Amino acid sequence: MSGHHISSAKFLWGIGTALFILTFITVAVTWINIPDPWNVVVAIFIAVVKATIVALFFMNLWWDSQFNVMLLITSVVFFLLLVGITLLDTLYRSDPIPSF
Amino acid sequence: MAQTSVDIEHKTDHIQHHFVDSDQQFESSKLGMWIFLVTEILFFGGLFAAYIVYRAWYPELYLEASTELNAFWGTVNTAVLIGSSLTVAMAIRSAQLNQIKGLIYNLYITIGLAIIFMVIKFFEYAEKLEKGIAPGAYYTYDGLEHEKANIFFSIYYMMTGLHGLHVVIGIGLMVWLVIKAKKKVFHSGYYTPVEITGLYWHLVDVIWIFLFPLLYLID
Repeated sequence: MSGHHISSAKFLWGIGTALFILTFITVAVTWINIPDPWNVVVAIFIAVVKATIVALFFMNLWWDSQFNVMLLITSVVFFLLLVGITLLDTLYRSDPIPSF
Repeated sequence: MAQTSVDIEHKTDHIQHHFVDSDQQFESSKLGMWIFLVTEILFFGGLFAAYIVYRAWYPELYLEASTELNAFWGTVNTAVLIGSSLTVAMAIRSAQLNQIKGLIYNLYITIGLAIIFMVIKFFEYAEKLEKGIAPGAYYTYDGLEHEKANIFFSIYYMMTGLHGLHVVIGIGLMVWLVIKAKKKVFHSGYYTPVEITGLYWHLVDVIWIFLFPLLYLID
């Protein structure tokens, strides 16, 4: 079991604190009314940063096999494909809004 | 000497015969869990895609309807889940260091935080259902002008409901880990179930990290 990375308690608390601060920032930026669409961009950007921190340092991908990193990245790529191809349809319909 | 050989036997009795060694077994389990997490991301991905399509169609609906969601309790729940991710990470650290008591305490705190999350979610749902803010055809609330308001809440209930289901399953897994830890199954050489349940729990946290600003913080 020599290869397992063991994070120090101080390090884990540091990561947790960073996530709490970023949560506060996500809420705080809604108080200063950033104009559309940049409010969404900022919110998603902070969420991506938080998710990356969790994946790298709580889920230990930073020290893990590259294959697991590839799996995560692939899932994100396929999610973006799903959204992208769907929007190519739904954004460009001649009769855009259905009854539902 | 006899004691030592018993110890060594104890340290390896978790290895199944089809694995070369403990490390290979651990890495295989983790790989399997990551593949499961990929399917989870795509599972939730379908709902996120629905969210995006409808938001592109009705941007004003999202601005209006999200005012019904209480950003304060959403923030509290975000903090609760991040705290629980931290305690799960601490639980794994305890297991790695052979501190089984610490492992059990951290799992208890995690279970407690997960229950707090679900209780807050319960009151949020109850408050909405009381007003008639139910999903789809059951929507009877007249406080919102947009005629598609029920669609926003269908998406809201599906996304937070599926996430909540994952939290409940997570609580069940943590209880199972506590029982196994009390039976002294885990030690620094074998804590695979703690590790992969931790991965699952962090993913549930990550999904909430996206749900929170997308649902609660639009306005």
